[in-house]
Amino acid sequence: MKFVIRWLVGAFVIASVVWAGMVAAADGKIKVLNPRGIMPAIKQIPMAERPDTLDGKTIYIVDTKFANTKPFVNALRDNLAAAYPKTNWVGVDKVGGYMQDDPNLWAEIKAKGHGAIVLLGH
Amino acid sequence: MGVPAVAMVTSAFDELATSTAFKKGMPGLRVSFTPHPITGRTTEESNEYLKGNDPVSGKPMLTEIVAGLQAKLAEQDKQAGEIKREERPRFLAEDTADNLQQMFQDNMWTDGLPVILPTEEKVKAMLKGTSHKADEIVGEMRPSGPHEAWKYTVEMVATNAVMAGAKPEYLPVILAIASTGQTSLVSSTSSFARMAVINGPIRDEIQMNSSIGALGPFNQANAAIGRAWTLVSKNLGGSGTPGSTYLGSTGNPLNYGNMTFPEAEENLPEGWNPLHVQKGFKKEENVVSILSGWSFNTIAWFSPLPQQDVIKNWLTHFFSFGTGSATIIVDPIVAVELKNNGFATKEQFAAYLMEKSANPGWLYWSTHEEEYKKAKEGVEPFASYLKLGETAEVPVSRYVRRQPPPGAPAAPAGMPPRNPIEVIAVGGGTNTYWSGGDFSYVSGASIDKWK
Repeated sequence: MKFVIRWLVGAFVIASVVWAGMVAAADGKIKVLNPRGIMPAIKQIPMAERPDTLDGKTIYIVDTKFANTKPFVNALRDNLAAAYPKTNWVGVDKVGGYMQDDPNLWAEIKAKGHGAIVLLGH
Repeated sequence: MGVPAVAMVTSAFDELATSTAFKKGMPGLRVSFTPHPITGRTTEESNEYLKGNDPVSGKPMLTEIVAGLQAKLAEQDKQAGEIKREERPRFLAEDTADNLQQMFQDNMWTDGLPVILPTEEKVKAMLKGTSHKADEIVGEMRPSGPHEAWKYTVEMVATNAVMAGAKPEYLPVILAIASTGQTSLVSSTSSFARMAVINGPIRDEIQMNSSIGALGPFNQANAAIGRAWTLVSKNLGGSGTPGSTYLGSTGNPLNYGNMTFPEAEENLPEGWNPLHVQKGFKKEENVVSILSGWSFNTIAWFSPLPQQDVIKNWLTHFFSFGTGSATIIVDPIVAVELKNNGFATKEQFAAYLMEKSANPGWLYWSTHEEEYKKAKEGVEPFASYLKLGETAEVPVSRYVRRQPPPGAPAAPAGMPPRNPIEVIAVGGGTNTYWSGGDFSYVSGASIDKWK
Protein backbone atom coordinates (compact mmCIF):
# COMPACT_ATOMS: atom_id res chain seq x y z
CA MET A 1 0.00 0.00 0.00
CA LYS A 2 2.78 2.40 1.03
CA PHE A 3 4.57 1.65 -2.21
CA VAL A 4 1.47 2.53 -4.24
CA ILE A 5 1.01 5.82 -2.37
CA ARG A 6 4.66 6.72 -2.90
CA TRP A 7 4.35 5.84 -6.56
CA LEU A 8 1.22 7.99 -6.92
CA VAL A 9 2.82 10.95 -5.13
CA GLY A 10 5.94 10.64 -7.30
CA ALA A 11 3.88 10.44 -10.45
CA PHE A 12 1.91 13.50 -9.37
CA VAL A 13 5.08 15.52 -8.73
CA ILE A 14 6.57 14.56 -12.11
CA ALA A 15 3.32 15.34 -13.87
CA SER A 16 3.13 18.71 -12.10
CA VAL A 17 6.65 19.64 -13.18
CA VAL A 18 5.97 18.61 -16.77
CA TRP A 19 2.65 20.44 -16.73
CA ALA A 20 4.26 23.59 -15.27
CA GLY A 21 6.93 23.45 -17.97
CA MET A 22 4.27 23.05 -20.66
CA VAL A 23 2.29 25.99 -19.29
CA ALA A 24 5.45 28.12 -19.14
CA ALA A 25 6.34 27.13 -22.68
CA ALA A 26 2.77 27.82 -23.78
CA ASP A 27 3.04 31.26 -22.16
CA GLY A 28 6.33 31.80 -23.94
CA LYS A 29 7.96 32.18 -20.55
CA ILE A 30 11.39 30.85 -19.72
CA LYS A 31 13.39 30.42 -16.54
CA VAL A 32 16.91 31.79 -16.33
CA LEU A 33 19.61 31.84 -13.68
CA ASN A 34 20.35 34.92 -11.64
CA PRO A 35 23.67 36.27 -12.93
CA ARG A 36 24.67 38.11 -9.76
CA GLY A 37 27.24 37.22 -7.11
CA ILE A 38 27.07 36.85 -3.34
CA MET A 39 27.13 40.10 -1.40
CA PRO A 40 28.75 40.18 2.04
CA ALA A 41 26.72 40.79 5.18
CA ILE A 42 26.81 44.32 6.56
CA LYS A 43 27.17 44.92 10.26
CA GLN A 44 25.75 48.28 11.27
CA ILE A 45 28.09 50.46 13.34
CA PRO A 46 26.29 52.69 15.84
CA MET A 47 27.12 56.34 15.29
CA ALA A 48 28.78 58.34 18.08
CA GLU A 49 26.52 60.39 20.32
CA ARG A 50 26.51 64.09 19.48
CA PRO A 51 27.26 66.78 22.07
CA ASP A 52 24.68 69.48 22.88
CA THR A 53 27.04 72.18 21.72
CA LEU A 54 30.39 72.53 19.97
CA ASP A 55 31.36 75.48 22.18
CA GLY A 56 34.64 74.70 23.91
CA LYS A 57 35.08 71.54 21.87
CA THR A 58 37.96 70.56 19.59
CA ILE A 59 37.03 69.47 16.08
CA TYR A 60 39.69 68.04 13.76
CA ILE A 61 39.55 68.91 10.07
CA VAL A 62 41.27 65.97 8.39
CA ASP A 63 42.75 66.61 4.97
CA THR A 64 43.07 63.40 2.97
CA LYS A 65 45.34 65.36 0.63
CA PHE A 66 43.70 64.94 -2.71
CA ALA A 67 45.73 66.87 -5.31
CA ASN A 68 45.37 70.68 -5.36
CA THR A 69 42.67 70.93 -2.69
CA LYS A 70 44.65 72.62 0.12
CA PRO A 71 43.17 76.11 -0.52
CA PHE A 72 39.69 74.66 -0.02
CA VAL A 73 40.68 72.79 3.15
CA ASN A 74 42.27 75.91 4.63
CA ALA A 75 39.27 78.01 3.60
CA LEU A 76 36.95 75.56 5.36
CA ARG A 77 38.96 75.85 8.58
CA ASP A 78 39.06 79.68 8.36
CA ASN A 79 35.35 80.01 7.57
CA LEU A 80 34.35 77.68 10.42
CA ALA A 81 36.66 79.52 12.83
CA ALA A 82 35.10 82.83 11.83
CA ALA A 83 31.51 81.58 12.11
CA TYR A 84 32.01 79.44 15.26
CA PRO A 85 34.84 81.10 17.23
CA LYS A 86 34.06 79.25 20.49
CA THR A 87 35.08 75.95 18.88
CA ASN A 88 38.73 74.95 18.45
CA TRP A 89 39.10 73.92 14.76
CA VAL A 90 42.33 71.95 14.22
CA GLY A 91 43.57 71.23 10.70
CA VAL A 92 45.59 68.01 10.24
CA ASP A 93 46.93 66.01 7.29
CA LYS A 94 46.29 62.28 7.14
CA VAL A 95 49.40 60.21 6.37
CA GLY A 96 49.98 58.84 2.90
CA GLY A 97 47.68 59.07 -0.06
CA TYR A 98 43.93 59.40 0.16
CA MET A 99 43.46 55.61 0.08
CA GLN A 100 45.80 54.94 3.05
CA ASP A 101 44.48 54.36 6.56
CA ASP A 102 45.87 56.39 9.47
CA PRO A 103 45.01 54.59 12.75
CA ASN A 104 47.37 56.81 14.76
CA LEU A 105 45.47 59.91 13.72
CA TRP A 106 42.11 58.32 14.50
CA ALA A 107 43.47 57.44 17.99
CA GLU A 108 44.68 61.02 18.48
CA ILE A 109 41.30 62.42 17.48
CA LYS A 110 39.52 60.06 19.86
CA ALA A 111 41.87 61.04 22.71
CA LYS A 112 42.06 64.78 22.16
CA GLY A 113 39.09 65.72 20.00
CA HIS A 114 35.32 65.83 20.16
CA GLY A 115 34.62 65.36 16.48
CA ALA A 116 36.08 65.35 12.99
CA ILE A 117 35.39 66.55 9.48
CA VAL A 118 37.06 64.31 6.92
CA LEU A 119 37.53 65.80 3.47
CA LEU A 120 37.80 63.76 0.29
CA GLY A 121 38.77 64.97 -3.20
CA HIS A 122 38.24 65.73 -6.10
CA MET B 1 36.79 56.68 15.22
CA GLY B 2 34.38 56.86 18.15
CA VAL B 3 33.66 60.59 17.86
CA PRO B 4 31.04 62.49 15.84
CA ALA B 5 32.19 62.81 12.24
CA VAL B 6 31.07 64.50 9.05
CA ALA B 7 32.40 63.51 5.65
CA MET B 8 32.79 66.20 3.00
CA VAL B 9 32.66 65.07 -0.60
CA THR B 10 32.15 66.85 -3.89
CA SER B 11 28.69 66.60 -5.40
CA ALA B 12 29.86 64.38 -8.29
CA PHE B 13 30.22 61.56 -5.76
CA ASP B 14 26.82 61.83 -4.10
CA GLU B 15 25.78 58.27 -4.98
CA LEU B 16 29.22 56.81 -4.26
CA ALA B 17 29.41 58.47 -0.82
CA THR B 18 25.96 57.38 0.31
CA SER B 19 26.26 53.82 -1.04
CA THR B 20 29.72 53.43 0.52
CA ALA B 21 28.44 54.67 3.90
CA PHE B 22 25.70 52.01 3.69
CA LYS B 23 28.08 49.20 2.71
CA LYS B 24 30.54 50.14 5.47
CA GLY B 25 27.75 49.84 8.03
CA MET B 26 26.87 53.46 8.70
CA PRO B 27 23.89 54.28 6.48
CA GLY B 28 23.15 57.44 8.46
CA LEU B 29 26.65 58.89 8.10
CA ARG B 30 26.43 62.68 7.89
CA VAL B 31 27.80 63.77 4.54
CA SER B 32 28.06 67.35 3.30
CA PHE B 33 28.60 67.99 -0.37
CA THR B 34 30.53 70.79 -2.01
CA PRO B 35 30.23 71.94 -5.61
CA HIS B 36 32.40 69.82 -7.90
CA PRO B 37 35.34 70.00 -8.37
CA ILE B 38 37.26 71.55 -5.50
CA THR B 39 40.65 70.59 -6.90
CA GLY B 40 42.43 73.65 -8.28
CA ARG B 41 39.99 76.14 -6.68
CA THR B 42 41.53 79.34 -5.31
CA THR B 43 40.95 80.55 -1.75
CA GLU B 44 38.45 83.11 -3.06
CA GLU B 45 36.54 80.47 -5.02
CA SER B 46 36.59 78.16 -2.01
CA ASN B 47 35.18 80.93 0.20
CA GLU B 48 32.33 81.43 -2.26
CA TYR B 49 31.59 77.70 -2.22
CA LEU B 50 31.57 77.63 1.59
CA LYS B 51 29.24 80.62 1.87
CA GLY B 52 26.78 78.87 -0.41
CA ASN B 53 24.54 75.85 -0.07
CA ASP B 54 25.27 72.14 -0.21
CA PRO B 55 24.34 71.43 -3.87
CA VAL B 56 22.72 68.11 -2.92
CA SER B 57 20.66 69.03 0.18
CA GLY B 58 20.23 72.72 -0.66
CA LYS B 59 21.10 73.66 2.94
CA PRO B 60 23.76 76.25 3.93
CA MET B 61 27.02 74.32 3.94
CA LEU B 62 28.61 75.49 7.20
CA THR B 63 25.46 75.15 9.31
CA GLU B 64 24.87 71.71 7.81
CA ILE B 65 28.38 70.60 8.83
CA VAL B 66 27.92 71.87 12.38
CA ALA B 67 24.49 70.24 12.59
CA GLY B 68 26.07 66.98 11.47
CA LEU B 69 28.47 67.16 14.42
CA GLN B 70 26.00 68.15 17.15
CA ALA B 71 22.39 67.48 16.13
CA LYS B 72 20.71 64.61 18.00
CA LEU B 73 20.87 61.25 16.28
CA ALA B 74 17.84 59.38 15.03
CA GLU B 75 17.17 56.05 16.76
CA GLN B 76 18.15 54.07 13.67
CA ASP B 77 21.59 55.76 13.67
CA LYS B 78 22.33 54.25 17.09
CA GLN B 79 21.49 50.69 16.16
CA ALA B 80 23.90 47.78 15.76
CA GLY B 81 23.38 44.40 14.11
CA GLU B 82 23.08 43.07 10.61
CA ILE B 83 21.59 45.22 7.85
CA LYS B 84 19.22 43.29 5.60
CA ARG B 85 20.29 43.09 1.98
CA GLU B 86 18.35 42.20 -1.14
CA GLU B 87 17.57 38.53 -1.75
CA ARG B 88 19.36 36.91 -4.66
CA PRO B 89 17.60 33.65 -5.50
CA ARG B 90 19.29 31.19 -7.84
CA PHE B 91 16.59 31.66 -10.49
CA LEU B 92 14.87 34.83 -11.63
CA ALA B 93 11.09 34.91 -11.97
CA GLU B 94 9.93 33.29 -15.21
CA ASP B 95 9.19 35.70 -18.03
CA THR B 96 9.32 36.00 -21.80
CA ALA B 97 12.71 36.20 -23.50
CA ASP B 98 12.04 39.77 -24.58
CA ASN B 99 11.07 40.86 -21.09
CA LEU B 100 14.09 39.14 -19.57
CA GLN B 101 16.41 40.79 -22.09
CA GLN B 102 14.91 44.13 -21.10
CA MET B 103 15.24 43.27 -17.42
CA PHE B 104 18.93 42.44 -17.86
CA GLN B 105 19.44 45.77 -19.64
CA ASP B 106 17.46 47.77 -17.07
CA ASN B 107 19.44 46.26 -14.22
CA MET B 108 22.73 46.89 -16.04
CA TRP B 109 23.65 43.18 -15.99
CA THR B 110 24.95 43.47 -19.57
CA ASP B 111 27.59 45.46 -21.41
CA GLY B 112 24.83 47.41 -23.11
CA LEU B 113 24.24 44.77 -25.79
CA PRO B 114 21.78 41.86 -25.78
CA VAL B 115 23.04 38.73 -24.07
CA ILE B 116 22.40 35.01 -24.47
CA LEU B 117 19.81 34.33 -21.77
CA PRO B 118 21.27 31.88 -19.20
CA THR B 119 18.63 29.16 -19.13
CA GLU B 120 19.24 26.15 -16.91
CA GLU B 121 19.96 24.00 -19.96
CA LYS B 122 22.56 26.40 -21.37
CA VAL B 123 24.28 26.82 -17.99
CA LYS B 124 24.29 23.07 -17.48
CA ALA B 125 25.92 22.62 -20.89
CA MET B 126 28.45 25.33 -20.04
CA LEU B 127 29.36 23.54 -16.81
CA LYS B 128 30.50 20.56 -18.87
CA GLY B 129 33.56 22.70 -19.67
CA THR B 130 34.97 22.16 -16.16
CA SER B 131 35.34 19.28 -13.73
CA HIS B 132 34.71 21.59 -10.79
CA LYS B 133 31.48 21.47 -8.81
CA ALA B 134 28.87 24.08 -9.60
CA ASP B 135 28.73 25.35 -6.03
CA GLU B 136 32.49 25.72 -5.55
CA ILE B 137 33.55 29.24 -4.65
CA VAL B 138 35.88 30.57 -7.35
CA GLY B 139 36.99 33.77 -5.65
CA GLU B 140 35.96 37.27 -4.75
CA MET B 141 36.17 40.56 -6.61
CA ARG B 142 35.65 44.24 -5.85
CA PRO B 143 35.50 47.36 -8.03
CA SER B 144 38.57 48.83 -6.27
CA GLY B 145 40.30 48.70 -2.89
CA PRO B 146 37.76 50.56 -0.72
CA HIS B 147 34.72 48.75 -2.12
CA GLU B 148 33.12 45.58 -0.75
CA ALA B 149 34.01 42.24 -2.34
CA TRP B 150 31.43 39.83 -3.74
CA LYS B 151 31.97 36.08 -3.90
CA TYR B 152 30.92 33.77 -6.72
CA THR B 153 30.58 30.11 -7.54
CA VAL B 154 31.54 28.11 -10.62
CA GLU B 155 27.86 28.12 -11.68
CA MET B 156 27.67 31.90 -11.40
CA VAL B 157 30.74 32.28 -13.62
CA ALA B 158 29.23 29.76 -16.07
CA THR B 159 26.00 31.79 -16.12
CA ASN B 160 27.90 34.91 -17.15
CA ALA B 161 29.93 32.91 -19.66
CA VAL B 162 26.66 31.81 -21.32
CA MET B 163 25.49 35.43 -21.40
CA ALA B 164 28.73 36.46 -23.13
CA GLY B 165 28.32 33.92 -25.92
CA ALA B 166 31.08 31.60 -24.75
CA LYS B 167 31.40 27.90 -25.58
CA PRO B 168 31.89 25.34 -22.76
CA GLU B 169 35.51 24.82 -23.78
CA TYR B 170 36.25 28.49 -23.00
CA LEU B 171 35.01 28.10 -19.42
CA PRO B 172 38.37 27.13 -17.82
CA VAL B 173 39.89 30.36 -19.22
CA ILE B 174 36.99 32.44 -17.87
CA LEU B 175 37.18 30.69 -14.50
CA ALA B 176 40.93 31.36 -14.37
CA ILE B 177 40.31 35.06 -15.04
CA ALA B 178 37.59 35.11 -12.36
CA SER B 179 39.92 33.34 -9.92
CA THR B 180 42.37 36.25 -10.05
CA GLY B 181 39.77 38.50 -8.41
CA GLN B 182 40.75 41.24 -10.84
CA THR B 183 37.85 43.30 -12.12
CA SER B 184 38.01 44.54 -15.70
CA LEU B 185 36.08 47.67 -14.65
CA VAL B 186 38.24 49.35 -12.04
CA SER B 187 36.36 52.08 -10.20
CA SER B 188 38.54 55.13 -10.69
CA THR B 189 37.84 58.49 -12.29
CA SER B 190 40.85 57.76 -14.51
CA SER B 191 39.06 55.18 -16.71
CA PHE B 192 41.28 52.13 -16.36
CA ALA B 193 41.56 49.40 -18.99
CA ARG B 194 42.61 45.78 -18.52
CA MET B 195 44.24 43.17 -20.71
CA ALA B 196 44.12 39.36 -20.63
CA VAL B 197 46.88 37.44 -22.43
CA ILE B 198 46.42 33.71 -22.87
CA ASN B 199 49.41 31.39 -23.23
CA GLY B 200 49.75 27.64 -23.66
CA PRO B 201 48.27 24.92 -25.90
CA ILE B 202 44.69 25.86 -25.02
CA ARG B 203 44.98 28.80 -27.43
CA ASP B 204 44.78 26.37 -30.33
CA GLU B 205 42.45 23.91 -28.61
CA ILE B 206 39.74 26.56 -28.35
CA GLN B 207 40.74 28.18 -31.65
CA MET B 208 41.75 31.58 -30.39
CA ASN B 209 43.22 33.99 -32.90
CA SER B 210 46.79 35.19 -32.43
CA SER B 211 47.22 36.07 -36.09
CA ILE B 212 45.69 38.69 -38.41
CA GLY B 213 43.39 41.02 -36.50
CA ALA B 214 43.96 39.26 -33.17
CA LEU B 215 43.11 42.40 -31.22
CA GLY B 216 39.99 43.07 -33.28
CA PRO B 217 36.46 41.61 -33.43
CA PHE B 218 37.21 38.57 -35.59
CA ASN B 219 37.19 35.53 -33.33
CA GLN B 220 34.54 34.06 -31.04
CA ALA B 221 36.93 32.82 -28.35
CA ASN B 222 38.88 36.09 -28.10
CA ALA B 223 35.65 38.11 -28.10
CA ALA B 224 33.52 35.96 -25.80
CA ILE B 225 36.22 35.45 -23.16
CA GLY B 226 36.88 39.20 -23.08
CA ARG B 227 33.17 39.95 -22.90
CA ALA B 228 32.67 37.37 -20.17
CA TRP B 229 35.27 39.18 -18.08
CA THR B 230 33.21 42.37 -18.33
CA LEU B 231 30.01 40.56 -17.31
CA VAL B 232 31.78 38.71 -14.47
CA SER B 233 33.16 42.05 -13.25
CA LYS B 234 29.72 43.66 -13.28
CA ASN B 235 27.54 40.86 -12.02
CA LEU B 236 29.90 38.92 -9.78
CA GLY B 237 32.44 41.58 -8.84
CA GLY B 238 29.99 44.37 -8.04
CA SER B 239 31.63 46.67 -10.60
CA GLY B 240 30.30 48.86 -13.33
CA THR B 241 27.42 50.90 -11.98
CA PRO B 242 28.20 54.45 -13.17
CA GLY B 243 28.26 56.92 -10.30
CA SER B 244 28.46 54.25 -7.64
CA THR B 245 30.89 51.48 -8.49
CA TYR B 246 32.30 52.95 -11.71
CA LEU B 247 33.62 56.50 -11.81
CA GLY B 248 35.66 56.64 -15.05
CA SER B 249 34.95 60.14 -16.28
CA THR B 250 35.17 59.42 -20.01
CA GLY B 251 35.09 55.63 -19.78
CA ASN B 252 37.40 53.48 -21.87
CA PRO B 253 36.50 51.68 -25.14
CA LEU B 254 39.07 48.99 -24.32
CA ASN B 255 36.69 47.76 -21.60
CA TYR B 256 34.43 46.19 -24.27
CA GLY B 257 36.74 43.30 -25.12
CA ASN B 258 39.33 43.92 -22.42
CA MET B 259 42.14 43.35 -24.93
CA THR B 260 41.82 39.58 -24.62
CA PHE B 261 44.13 37.71 -26.98
CA PRO B 262 46.56 34.78 -27.13
CA GLU B 263 50.25 35.41 -27.59
CA ALA B 264 51.63 34.20 -30.95
CA GLU B 265 54.05 31.86 -29.18
CA GLU B 266 54.84 29.67 -32.18
CA ASN B 267 56.09 32.67 -34.15
CA LEU B 268 58.37 34.08 -31.46
CA PRO B 269 62.01 34.07 -32.50
CA GLU B 270 64.23 31.53 -30.78
CA GLY B 271 65.23 32.75 -27.32
CA TRP B 272 62.16 34.96 -26.91
CA ASN B 273 60.06 33.33 -24.20
CA PRO B 274 56.27 33.56 -24.07
CA LEU B 275 54.86 35.86 -21.38
CA HIS B 276 53.83 33.04 -19.03
CA VAL B 277 57.30 31.48 -19.15
CA GLN B 278 58.78 34.90 -18.31
CA LYS B 279 56.54 34.86 -15.24
CA GLY B 280 57.70 31.48 -14.01
CA PHE B 281 55.17 29.08 -15.54
CA LYS B 282 56.14 26.09 -17.69
CA LYS B 283 55.78 26.42 -21.45
CA GLU B 284 53.23 23.60 -21.66
CA GLU B 285 51.03 25.15 -18.96
CA ASN B 286 47.91 27.08 -19.90
CA VAL B 287 47.96 30.46 -18.22
CA VAL B 288 46.09 33.75 -18.32
CA SER B 289 48.02 36.92 -17.48
CA ILE B 290 46.24 40.06 -16.35
CA LEU B 291 47.68 43.47 -17.18
CA SER B 292 46.39 46.86 -16.15
CA GLY B 293 46.69 50.25 -17.80
CA TRP B 294 44.77 53.04 -19.46
CA SER B 295 45.94 53.83 -22.98
CA PHE B 296 46.95 52.10 -26.16
CA ASN B 297 48.53 53.32 -29.42
CA THR B 298 48.72 51.43 -32.69
CA ILE B 299 51.85 52.42 -34.58
CA ALA B 300 52.02 51.94 -38.34
CA TRP B 301 55.22 53.71 -39.24
CA PHE B 302 58.19 53.32 -41.50
CA SER B 303 61.47 54.93 -40.54
CA PRO B 304 65.10 54.76 -41.63
CA LEU B 305 65.85 54.20 -37.93
CA PRO B 306 65.97 50.62 -36.65
CA GLN B 307 62.76 49.40 -34.98
CA GLN B 308 64.26 49.47 -31.49
CA ASP B 309 64.95 53.18 -31.79
CA VAL B 310 61.53 54.02 -33.21
CA ILE B 311 60.00 52.19 -30.23
CA LYS B 312 62.45 53.85 -27.83
CA ASN B 313 61.57 57.32 -29.19
CA TRP B 314 57.86 56.56 -28.97
CA LEU B 315 58.34 55.51 -25.34
CA THR B 316 60.16 58.76 -24.60
CA HIS B 317 57.30 60.89 -25.85
CA PHE B 318 54.31 58.67 -25.04
CA PHE B 319 52.34 60.40 -22.32
CA SER B 320 49.46 58.97 -20.32
CA PHE B 321 48.15 58.66 -16.82
CA GLY B 322 50.17 55.48 -16.44
CA THR B 323 53.51 57.01 -17.25
CA GLY B 324 56.23 54.73 -15.88
CA SER B 325 54.98 51.40 -17.20
CA ALA B 326 54.64 50.13 -20.74
CA THR B 327 53.67 47.03 -22.66
CA ILE B 328 54.90 46.75 -26.23
CA ILE B 329 52.90 44.44 -28.46
CA VAL B 330 54.93 43.55 -31.52
CA ASP B 331 53.94 41.66 -34.62
CA PRO B 332 56.02 38.45 -34.71
CA ILE B 333 57.91 39.72 -37.77
CA VAL B 334 58.93 42.77 -35.73
CA ALA B 335 60.09 40.40 -32.99
CA VAL B 336 62.24 38.57 -35.57
CA GLU B 337 63.63 41.90 -36.82
CA LEU B 338 64.51 42.91 -33.26
CA LYS B 339 66.17 39.53 -32.69
CA ASN B 340 68.19 40.06 -35.87
CA ASN B 341 69.15 43.52 -34.59
CA GLY B 342 70.85 41.90 -31.61
CA PHE B 343 68.21 41.41 -28.95
CA ALA B 344 68.49 37.74 -28.05
CA THR B 345 65.60 37.85 -25.57
CA LYS B 346 62.57 39.96 -24.72
CA GLU B 347 64.34 40.93 -21.52
CA GLN B 348 67.32 42.31 -23.45
CA PHE B 349 65.04 44.39 -25.62
CA ALA B 350 63.11 45.70 -22.60
CA ALA B 351 66.39 46.55 -20.85
CA TYR B 352 67.50 48.52 -23.91
CA LEU B 353 64.28 50.51 -23.89
CA MET B 354 64.56 51.15 -20.17
CA GLU B 355 68.14 52.35 -20.51
CA LYS B 356 67.86 54.43 -23.68
CA SER B 357 64.44 56.03 -23.47
CA ALA B 358 64.29 59.52 -21.98
CA ASN B 359 61.76 62.09 -20.80
CA PRO B 360 60.37 65.24 -22.38
CA GLY B 361 61.51 68.12 -20.15
CA TRP B 362 58.02 69.26 -19.22
CA LEU B 363 57.05 65.72 -18.17
CA TYR B 364 60.23 65.12 -16.22
CA TRP B 365 59.70 68.26 -14.14
CA SER B 366 56.02 67.45 -13.66
CA THR B 367 56.95 64.21 -11.94
CA HIS B 368 60.20 65.21 -10.17
CA GLU B 369 59.37 67.95 -7.68
CA GLU B 370 62.47 67.42 -5.50
CA GLU B 371 64.79 67.39 -8.48
CA TYR B 372 63.18 70.62 -9.71
CA LYS B 373 64.00 72.31 -6.39
CA LYS B 374 67.58 71.07 -6.66
CA ALA B 375 67.81 72.30 -10.25
CA LYS B 376 66.70 75.75 -9.11
CA GLU B 377 69.44 75.66 -6.45
CA GLY B 378 72.05 74.87 -9.12
CA VAL B 379 72.56 71.22 -8.10
CA GLU B 380 73.87 69.08 -10.96
CA PRO B 381 72.90 67.28 -13.10
CA PHE B 382 69.43 68.75 -12.56
CA ALA B 383 70.50 72.35 -13.22
CA SER B 384 71.83 71.30 -16.64
CA TYR B 385 68.64 69.38 -17.38
CA LEU B 386 66.60 72.50 -16.63
CA LYS B 387 68.69 74.55 -19.04
CA LEU B 388 67.70 72.18 -21.84
CA GLY B 389 64.18 73.64 -21.80
CA GLU B 390 60.81 72.00 -21.45
CA THR B 391 60.66 70.58 -24.98
CA ALA B 392 64.12 68.95 -24.91
CA GLU B 393 64.71 65.38 -23.79
CA VAL B 394 66.02 64.90 -20.27
CA PRO B 395 68.27 61.80 -20.36
CA VAL B 396 66.46 59.97 -17.56
CA SER B 397 64.16 57.04 -18.31
CA ARG B 398 60.68 56.85 -16.83
CA TYR B 399 60.76 53.08 -17.11
CA VAL B 400 62.77 52.05 -14.08
CA ARG B 401 62.37 49.40 -11.43
CA ARG B 402 61.04 51.15 -8.37
CA GLN B 403 61.68 49.93 -4.87
CA PRO B 404 58.52 49.48 -2.80
CA PRO B 405 57.97 52.35 -0.36
CA PRO B 406 59.18 51.81 3.22
CA GLY B 407 56.70 49.77 5.21
CA ALA B 408 54.94 48.40 2.13
CA PRO B 409 53.95 44.73 2.48
CA ALA B 410 56.34 42.26 0.87
CA ALA B 411 55.30 40.73 -2.45
CA PRO B 412 53.84 37.21 -2.08
CA ALA B 413 56.35 34.38 -2.40
CA GLY B 414 56.85 33.35 -6.01
CA MET B 415 55.47 36.62 -7.35
CA PRO B 416 57.54 37.60 -10.38
CA PRO B 417 59.21 41.01 -10.27
CA ARG B 418 57.19 43.79 -11.80
CA ASN B 419 58.83 44.79 -15.06
CA PRO B 420 58.50 48.42 -16.12
CA ILE B 421 58.31 47.18 -19.71
CA GLU B 422 56.63 44.00 -20.95
CA VAL B 423 56.95 42.70 -24.52
CA ILE B 424 54.27 40.47 -26.07
CA ALA B 425 54.01 39.16 -29.64
CA VAL B 426 50.76 38.94 -31.59
CA GLY B 427 49.71 39.50 -35.18
CA GLY B 428 49.61 38.00 -38.63
CA GLY B 429 52.79 39.39 -40.13
CA THR B 430 51.09 41.51 -42.77
CA ASN B 431 53.44 44.35 -41.91
CA THR B 432 56.21 45.36 -39.52
CA TYR B 433 53.91 47.22 -37.19
CA TRP B 434 53.53 47.27 -33.44
CA SER B 435 51.44 48.72 -30.66
CA GLY B 436 52.10 49.99 -27.18
CA GLY B 437 50.45 51.30 -24.10
CA ASP B 438 50.88 51.99 -20.41
CA PHE B 439 49.91 48.51 -19.26
CA SER B 440 51.76 46.65 -16.52
CA TYR B 441 51.58 43.04 -15.35
CA VAL B 442 49.25 42.42 -12.40
CA SER B 443 49.00 38.65 -11.96
CA GLY B 444 48.77 35.30 -13.70
CA ALA B 445 46.54 32.27 -13.09
CA SER B 446 46.57 28.65 -14.16
CA ILE B 447 43.85 27.71 -16.65
CA ASP B 448 44.61 23.99 -16.24
CA LYS B 449 43.44 24.18 -12.62
CA TRP B 450 39.94 24.98 -13.89
CA LYS B 451 39.65 22.33 -16.58
